[in-house]
Amino acid sequence: MFELILTLVLLVIGFVFGQIAEKRHFRSIIQREAETRDLLCFNERRIPQDMFSPHVTLVCGSVVVSVDFFKHFVATLRNLVGGRVSAYESLLERARREAVLRMKAQALAQGATSVWNVRVETSSIHQGQRQGIGAVEVMAYGTALVPR
Amino acid sequence: MGAYENRTVPEGINVSPVHPLKDFAVLLFGVSLSVIAFVIVLALLAGYLVRYVPFSYEQSLVSRAVAPWLEPSTDPLDQQRQRYLQSLADRLSSVMNLPDGMQVTVHYVQKDTVNAMATLGGHVVVFQGLLDVMPNENALAMVLAHEMAHVRYRHPIVATGRGFAVTLALSALAGIGDGVMERWVGQMGILPMLSFSRSQETEADALALESLQQSYGHVEGAAALFEYAAAETPVLSLPTLLATHPDHEDRIRRIQVFAQEHPPAMAPQLQPLPDYMKSKAKSNESQ
Amino acid sequence: MIVTNIEYIPGKKITQHLGMVSGNTVRAKHVGRDLMAGLKNIVGGELKGYTELLTESREEAVRRMVAQAEAIGANAVLNVRFSTSSVAAGAAELFAYGTAVVAE
Repeated sequence: MFELILTLVLLVIGFVFGQIAEKRHFRSIIQREAETRDLLCFNERRIPQDMFSPHVTLVCGSVVVSVDFFKHFVATLRNLVGGRVSAYESLLERARREAVLRMKAQALAQGATSVWNVRVETSSIHQGQRQGIGAVEVMAYGTALVPR
Repeated sequence: MGAYENRTVPEGINVSPVHPLKDFAVLLFGVSLSVIAFVIVLALLAGYLVRYVPFSYEQSLVSRAVAPWLEPSTDPLDQQRQRYLQSLADRLSSVMNLPDGMQVTVHYVQKDTVNAMATLGGHVVVFQGLLDVMPNENALAMVLAHEMAHVRYRHPIVATGRGFAVTLALSALAGIGDGVMERWVGQMGILPMLSFSRSQETEADALALESLQQSYGHVEGAAALFEYAAAETPVLSLPTLLATHPDHEDRIRRIQVFAQEHPPAMAPQLQPLPDYMKSKAKSNESQ
Repeated sequence: MIVTNIEYIPGKKITQHLGMVSGNTVRAKHVGRDLMAGLKNIVGGELKGYTELLTESREEAVRRMVAQAEAIGANAVLNVRFSTSSVAAGAAELFAYGTAVVAE
């Protein structure tokens, strides 16, 4: 009985705070994406001749996001039934855009105008721990071009 | 090479547009219902199959595993009590028409626990604590007949078979989720098992009343244990859905209904319990 | 919609580069599949259920990436990359991304 109540309390806390955090994060991502729109970002390997400058540098941004209790619970339920795990989709979307934004911030700090050959890597850093609540790491990296 | 620009990608393409609470409700409801349905099907199947295990096999299994635990006492008074209980049980089993080869062995245990139980192989255990709260023989006969009815319907082995099958099946799911998930599935799985247990109790009560009616001609005094238990139970008891036994009030009510349907031929007479069945008899003797 | 993992489209001229587009999805298989995969782990061999899972997820991820590209007015996606990771036991995440372009 006590366990059931504890689970319910954790679910409510996870849902309320998780949703607030997610909404706030998405708002901030959208705002910062609009601010950094001028920094061009491509995943093409070939930098066009007319843009080329001798000053290039590697930039990267990474983020680790944790799942809240509510999402985790929904995802484990979903795991029994199969199908799209929408709780994790929004988590990963957030993580990925945040990583790219951090990479862009680094590029902007160095005075770059464009980033090329952008790659994104995801890894989960909770594997093997049965009780542990999951966390994902996303890393974005690319070559920033600084005009001289 | 063409022009280079970054256009704004619209929101909501990479995230499924499902409200998290709706997703949660659908999943929780669906998974809980399927676990309950799965457990019910499995338990019914296991309970059905296990009835084909011959009673003699059940007995020999228990004589090896449980018999040492039920070693009879050497105390002469305990043996006297044991003989009394056994003769009461024999009297009841003659009206209960037990199937061929099934016999009930009563064990007396010198403990304060207010309880009696039936286990595999037709063994019924009665504790001294129960004898002490029994006002008369009729009340004791009701409890004994109830436990014997469990044996008659082979409830112990059915419950064991069900429990085994369901535990095995649910533990196969354990590798999928994590702790919280496992506990949730376990709790959902227990609900139908509790309901099976309650219906077994009701079934045993009904047969016990029949036997009492045949043996004594009335069911007066049958509700004594439940009245005692109802008085002892704290006000805040578990909801019926979460209990292994039916509500005491319900059981008393069923006995009353039975008594009304079967009015005794003459004024009901209660048989007193012999003095030596009470624990104070033992202390008097030892002084 | 042209989707390719090279950086140009042979015989076509790219007139506009519109930036990165991406598609992701997280999917899980039902518990029966997971149990079968667990059994298969003993003897080895292909985990058909998971192959199916990843194929479905990849198609979904590409579909979403293409939807993004269409939404910003592109007609081709170049230099497509995939990245796969398992977010939780039994649930796989698939991410596809590339550069949206207008080709003539």
